[in-house]
Amino acid sequence: MKVPVNPEGATRTLAQLAAGERGVIASVDCPPAIARRLMELGLVPGTTVQVIRRAPLGDPMEIALRGVHLSLRRSEASRIDVTPA
Amino acid sequence: MSRPPEPPPRRIAILGNPNAGKSTLFNALTGMRQKVANYPGVTVEKKTGLCDLPNGRRAEVIDLPGSYSLQPASPDEMVVRDVLLGVQDDTPPPDLIVFVVDATNLDRHLYLALQVIELGRPLILALNMMDLAVVQGLRIDVPALERQLGVPVIGISAAKGAGLDVLRDLMTRDVEPSTRHFREWPAHLQRVIDRLEQRVPRLALLPDRARRDVAVAMLLDHGEDDALARHVSADALADAHLLARRLDEFSPGWRASDVAGRYEAITALVAETVNVPAGARKDARREAIDRVLTHRVFGPAIFVVLMGAVFQSVFAWAQPLMDLIDWGMRYVGNVVGHAMPDGALRSLMVDGVIAGVGTTLTFVPQIAVLFLFLSLLEDSGYMARAAFIMDRVMSRVGLSGRSFIPLLSSFACAIPGIMATRSIDSRRDRFTTIMVAPFMSCSARLPVYALLIGAFVPNRWVGFITLPGITLFAMYFLGILAAIVVAWALKRTVLAGGLPLYVMELPPYRMPNWRSVFITVRERSLLFVRNAGTVILAITVVLWFLASYPKGGEAVRALEAERTQVAAAGDTLQAQALDRRIASAALEHSFAGRTGRLIEPVIAPLGFDWRIGIGLITSLAAREVMVSTMATVFNLGSGERDVQPLRKILREAVDTRTGLRAYTPLTGVSLMVFFVLACQCMSTLAVVRRETNSWRWPIFMLVLMNAMAWLASFAVYQGGRLMGYGA
Repeated sequence: MKVPVNPEGATRTLAQLAAGERGVIASVDCPPAIARRLMELGLVPGTTVQVIRRAPLGDPMEIALRGVHLSLRRSEASRIDVTPA
Repeated sequence: MSRPPEPPPRRIAILGNPNAGKSTLFNALTGMRQKVANYPGVTVEKKTGLCDLPNGRRAEVIDLPGSYSLQPASPDEMVVRDVLLGVQDDTPPPDLIVFVVDATNLDRHLYLALQVIELGRPLILALNMMDLAVVQGLRIDVPALERQLGVPVIGISAAKGAGLDVLRDLMTRDVEPSTRHFREWPAHLQRVIDRLEQRVPRLALLPDRARRDVAVAMLLDHGEDDALARHVSADALADAHLLARRLDEFSPGWRASDVAGRYEAITALVAETVNVPAGARKDARREAIDRVLTHRVFGPAIFVVLMGAVFQSVFAWAQPLMDLIDWGMRYVGNVVGHAMPDGALRSLMVDGVIAGVGTTLTFVPQIAVLFLFLSLLEDSGYMARAAFIMDRVMSRVGLSGRSFIPLLSSFACAIPGIMATRSIDSRRDRFTTIMVAPFMSCSARLPVYALLIGAFVPNRWVGFITLPGITLFAMYFLGILAAIVVAWALKRTVLAGGLPLYVMELPPYRMPNWRSVFITVRERSLLFVRNAGTVILAITVVLWFLASYPKGGEAVRALEAERTQVAAAGDTLQAQALDRRIASAALEHSFAGRTGRLIEPVIAPLGFDWRIGIGLITSLAAREVMVSTMATVFNLGSGERDVQPLRKILREAVDTRTGLRAYTPLTGVSLMVFFVLACQCMSTLAVVRRETNSWRWPIFMLVLMNAMAWLASFAVYQGGRLMGYGA
């Protein structure tokens, strides 16, 4: 599921986005079964996601996509690449 | 007059994503006529109910667990898939599916809907929460949706009851299944799937179209799919795994190639059928609430206050009810006792059966109060936020935020706590939580701690806290520590593996539906009484027998003769004292008493003598029974007034063989440590048996906890003696 990384380094991981920031999912680089489930929950490449907030202890984070809010741990979010919205 | 036999009721399955309002619809259609059981062999709950249809017939409605996909990621989702494919034992495929989606969120909810529509079974799509969609200004083109999907579509509001008459009417009709397909696999994958499809056995219940879905499931299987292994030949499955590995090599990303395609179809479909007004801000309210409830400071603070309130209510609200039940059962016991002639049968009724029913019933208020709060928290959407806040803490031991509340509830009583683990979606996390819940010091341990601390811990100030306070805190802390260690170990050994993915939906806030809350409370309470209650009753009767038989014995007969003389002389005080000594001698003579002596060699290294041994046996009924048993053993009555003297007696008890003091403060600490860690509560085991659907887990719990308790008490007692605290 790797999409060529933007040479300017514009690709960041979802975990690196600040609260309120948006990004477009470029790739989901998790083990196959996890990647499939994340995509089934709507994290399909090309989808715009917004980071809503982080939990009081810093992890997990709340994201919104396709009108749904999900709680996602850093361990997964750091393996999802996003490009600027 | 004989009427023609009624045709079997229509089987209708309600299906949808979590948070689609499935259960609300199920409750609205079936009301109180519900039945909860387990699917065979798994811990997934099977909820069925009866629904009257407008044509005078009845339908059997199944509330399938909420799912996100037909490619299962949990036992719940596996059951859903198996029922739909017709391979689930004891649950034939439904005649009709009512697929519930959240009308305000078609985009995501249509994912599973499309998968299910493609199965080609009769299906009605119910757009739930239409009232909210209208408020938000969403305009959904229902006829266009029907055309595109090829199934009847109907707008409803399960919470308000709107549209349900139309739905019931549709449920009587014969619905043509859709023939639509919404995604194609890439050609090279399609060839692999076609090949596998030939290997799928021809099952009677499996529609031909669904054979392709079985082939896909085989390809995506990770060897954890028990239903597949049952229905598909082992070498077909092995071939599928081989093909999957080769695809991994040559076409990475293939496993999700249908997902993106399906979402593309959904995006197009929604664009054509749903009109979102410009500037619609449906998230404004949730954002305002979340800004407070998940705030960095206020969030945890509110969480602590709320949990404190829940915990306190389980304690405080349930207590008067429990006292009332206790009083009621004793009243019934008295009435029955007076009505029946003295003898074995009366003793069995009063001290066995009625006491057993009483033990079962006293748990019900705690269960009811806890589930009242839990369902309010769950239905309002707060539970997901609580898990969001606590996830980081619980992840340290390999669990998720969902485990926190069941563990907290276990401080009141492990039984409702274990029942509350149902909200944990991961089976492995759920079982881990169940296994560590009894380490939380429950309210039944408190009287034992109180007795032992009062007897053996001097009331001295240490800094700003008293020594008894520190001791009590240490006991609670020890339980938590044990839970952490065991959870950590289980998640790395027996319960390792599974899909280590903690993604959770944070649903919008909603007003809880009182009817649903009431049904949940009622259902949980009844379930406990029916399933665990019978086991608890049986155990109480067995323990009654052990503590009452065999009767007689020389000591008892001699005392009884003496009592007859004293009573004849009119000395009631002396007679009462003799009564207590008779009770003590009878208990000593009974099987329980003998067992107490029998196990003395095992518990002696922990500092316990046979008298404590008897207490350990009888406390299997409930931990607090330890207190009244010790009172009986030491010739006291078992009333409230006897606790004070009992402390003194324990302190001064003499070992009859050595003439030395039987119990030292070290004995007291060792015994408390034993009570923290030991699995003594048979009622807990009964509930674990019901919740895990097997005897393996309760037996494992019994062995593990008691081994830990023995080792810890041994370390405390022998270590303490080595350090010179034994005197």
